[in-house]
Amino acid sequence: MIRVSVNGEIKEIEKDLNITQLIKALEYKTKGFAVAVNTTFVSLASYEMTKIREGDTIDILAPVQGG
Amino acid sequence: MTKNMNMINDTWEIGGKTLQSRLLIGSALYPSPANMSDAIQISGAQIVTVALRRQSAGENAGGDFWNIIKSLGIEVLPNTAGCHSAKEAITTAQMAREVFGTNWIKLEVIGDQYNLQPDPFETVKAAEVLIKEGFEVFPYTTDDLVVAKRLANVGCKIIMPWGSMIGSGKGLMNPDNLLAIRKQFPELKLIIDAGIGKPSHATQAMELGYDGVLLNSAIALAHDPVKMADAFRVAVEAGRLGYEAGVMQQREFASPSTPTIGTPFWHQFKD
Repeated sequence: MIRVSVNGEIKEIEKDLNITQLIKALEYKTKGFAVAVNTTFVSLASYEMTKIREGDTIDILAPVQGG
Repeated sequence: MTKNMNMINDTWEIGGKTLQSRLLIGSALYPSPANMSDAIQISGAQIVTVALRRQSAGENAGGDFWNIIKSLGIEVLPNTAGCHSAKEAITTAQMAREVFGTNWIKLEVIGDQYNLQPDPFETVKAAEVLIKEGFEVFPYTTDDLVVAKRLANVGCKIIMPWGSMIGSGKGLMNPDNLLAIRKQFPELKLIIDAGIGKPSHATQAMELGYDGVLLNSAIALAHDPVKMADAFRVAVEAGRLGYEAGVMQQREFASPSTPTIGTPFWHQFKD
């Protein structure tokens, strides 16, 4: 297991997960969000090849109201 | 020609789209999603601003809100609100492009937390990178002419100076500065963003020759947001019509509008 930050919360996850596997493990059900790892955008096309490492900071953002 | 015909014929282009409304509206702070939807529709706005925020697992990942916005059938302008560096803004823009399916981005890089003044250095830096990546950048900036020049130099076709501080409702603090930007950049699309508090502020902005106004709080925080949205629709149209009609030159002295020839009783009792 490794420790990572997801949207500001520390979580323990399996080693060597990619983004697709992480999203599934975190039980995100709907689409319509975007992901950044360590403040760098990860496109949908890169989910499979992007492995999560110990200490990574993951942000998962979705649409909200804005001015 | 009727007034309505005038407005129907007044189309303009921005970011590769041809639009009729010159009002850009925000989607935040409304009493309810239904009220937001009604206000946006009544305003006639064809561009609505949206944002991205962290979403917990199990929530509908912003789906309900996004579905309402999509159902309106108007252009979406995602923002980078809350970013304090070029790096943060660039990442947010890239994420927004994937989520919202648009290359439009309202670039906001805040430089001061007290007055939410944009950071001109980071804004220019981010704009340059984003334009190279194919974004249509709508940069939020101050009314500083030199900053506007820098943004134009890195390729911005649109510039959005503030009227006054975000959410302040104080209107146009420096109309002379805004006019200077308008005169310096006749070819750019200029939109007043932030600080508009009442419909007359929007009219004033349009009378300066600005191409549009972007506002949120003035409508969403009104006692009746839907009615206020209608008021802003009319105000923006009035300001644009006034600009196109050509405002009269100010004069230093009084000048009667009623003919003086034939004035009755004139000097009748002079001794």
